[in-house]
Amino acid sequence: MSNLSISERLGKVAYRNQGRSDARAHILVDTAICNSTCPHRCTTYVCPANCYTEDDHGHVHFQFEDCIECGTCLYACDQGAVTWKYPDPEAGRGVNWSLG
Amino acid sequence: MDERFDCIIVGGGIAGLSAAMILARANRKFLLIERGEFCGAKNVSGGVLWGADLQRLVPEYWEQEAGYERVVGHRRLTFMDEQSAFSLDFKSDHFNQPPFAGVTVLRARFDEWLASRVQEAIDQSTAADESLLATNVLVDSLLMEDGRVTGIRAGEEEFFSDVVILAEGVNNLLTRQAGLQPAYVPADHVAVGVKEVIGLDQKVLEDRFQLRDGLGLTNEFVGYATRGVEGGGFLYTNRESLSVGLVLGMKDLGEKKLKPYDILNDFKAHPAIADMLAGGEVLEYSAHVVSTGDLAGVPDKLYGDGVLVAGEAAHLLLNAGRAIQGMDYAMRSGILAAEAVVESTDSKDFSRGALARYQERLEESYVIKDMRAFQGAVHLLHDPVMGRTLPSVICDFGRSYFTVESKPTRKTADMLKQSVRTHSSMWEMMKLALRAARNL
Repeated sequence: MSNLSISERLGKVAYRNQGRSDARAHILVDTAICNSTCPHRCTTYVCPANCYTEDDHGHVHFQFEDCIECGTCLYACDQGAVTWKYPDPEAGRGVNWSLG
Repeated sequence: MDERFDCIIVGGGIAGLSAAMILARANRKFLLIERGEFCGAKNVSGGVLWGADLQRLVPEYWEQEAGYERVVGHRRLTFMDEQSAFSLDFKSDHFNQPPFAGVTVLRARFDEWLASRVQEAIDQSTAADESLLATNVLVDSLLMEDGRVTGIRAGEEEFFSDVVILAEGVNNLLTRQAGLQPAYVPADHVAVGVKEVIGLDQKVLEDRFQLRDGLGLTNEFVGYATRGVEGGGFLYTNRESLSVGLVLGMKDLGEKKLKPYDILNDFKAHPAIADMLAGGEVLEYSAHVVSTGDLAGVPDKLYGDGVLVAGEAAHLLLNAGRAIQGMDYAMRSGILAAEAVVESTDSKDFSRGALARYQERLEESYVIKDMRAFQGAVHLLHDPVMGRTLPSVICDFGRSYFTVESKPTRKTADMLKQSVRTHSSMWEMMKLALRAARNL
C-alpha cells in the first residue's frame, strides 16, 4: 500500500469543533524561546502531528489545530516553552477517536 | 443531588472504569468524569489487553457481544534488518481455552463497552441514583485544603468527595498538581507511540493471517523497524483491521532528528510488513506517549491525603520482551485503588496513612513485582545492541541458513560465527547472552 504524507494521515483524524474558526488553543508555545535559546528544537521532530514546524528562515512555528493530544511535547520540551492543557470539550479543538 | 461523593474518579479509561466497577459493586456513591464525548473517545493504545482481570470485572465476557476484537491465539517476535525478517513464531491450541490470556482491542470501542458494563453495575447498586459516569466534562484542577485533596473543579462547577482516584492517563497534570510528581517530567522514561489502523476485508484478513474462530495474531518487531531509534514495532490483528505502529524512545528520536511518521512509512514499506498490509486502507492515525517501564519514571508515592493514582497516570507499563503490558496494569491498579477506597469508606479514614495500603498491595501484586524483577530487561531492550546489532546478526545468519546454493555448504555453527563476526564480535554476543540470561 502506498505511504501517506502527514497531512493525509491527519486527514483521517476526526476533531471536535471541526468547523469552528475560533476554537480556543489548549497548548500555548512561547516560540521566542524556541527561536532564541533552545539548543535542539526537538518538538519540530518528535511531534507526531507536525504541529511544530521550522520555516525556511529557521523560525519555529506552532499550531494547535492538528493536535491529537498525545502529550509528546509536554514531555519533550525541556526549555519551558510549552504550556500544556487538555482542550475544553466545548470551546477547544481536540481529537475524537472512532477506533483508538 | 447532593454534590458530595464517596469517591471521584478522573478518567474513563481502563484504570478508571475498573475502579468504577469495584465501587459500583460495593454500592459506593461515586462520580467518574471523562473529558471525551464517550469513554474511549480520547484513548489510544497499541492494542493487546493481557491477563485474567477482565474476567474478574466482566465474568464470561467472551459470551456476550464484547468490546474486544480478537482473542490472541498466535504470537510472533520478529527481528528485522533492511531486507529480512527472522521470526520466533508460536501458535498453540492451548491459547484457545477461556479464560483467554490476551485480547486485541481498539480503545474507542473497548472502553465504551466496558463503560456500558459499569453502568449496568451502577444500575444494580443501592447507590444507583447517586452514582454516575459523566462524559464531556474536563477537570481543570483538584480542590485542595491544607495539602489534602477534597474534590475537583470543572469549569464553574465544584464537586467534593472523600477521595479522588486519578486515572487521567500518561499526561498526568492533576497528579503533578497533587505534588506526587514534579511539575515538569523530562522525556527520559517515555516514548512516542504512533499507530495506524488499517482496514482489511475480514475474509482477506483471516485468510492472510490464517485466523479462525475469532482468533488473532500479535507480532512485535525489533531492529530496522525503528531505523536505529530505541524501541520497536507492532502489528495486531483486529476483527476487520490491523493495528500497526511503533514505539520510539522520545529522547533518542529527538537526538537522531527523525520524525515518527517518517519511520512509520519506512516500517510499512519493509517487504515483510508491506505484504501483510497489501490492499489495506488506513482508517485512522493516532499517537500517544508511552512509558518505557523504567521504575525511575513511576512516582515514589501513588497516594496522598484524599488521593490515589492508577494506571498510566502512575506510569505503570512494562515491556520486558515477552509482551507489552500496560492495560492489564491499569486494570489491576484501578481495582486495587478502588478496594482501598472501599476500606477507607468503611473506616472513614482517607488520610495518606490509610491510603498507603493501595501502594502496599500494588507492590505485592504482579504489577510492581514484575516491574522490579524485569528492570534489567527494560534497560537491556533499550540498549542499541538489542535494537541494531542483534537483529543484524540474526537476519544475516537466517540468510545463510536458508539459502541453498549449488556449492558446498558450511556447517550451521560456522555460519553463525561468520554472521557474528560480520556485525559484532563473539565477545559482545557472549556479554549479551549473559545479560539476557540474567535479566529476561
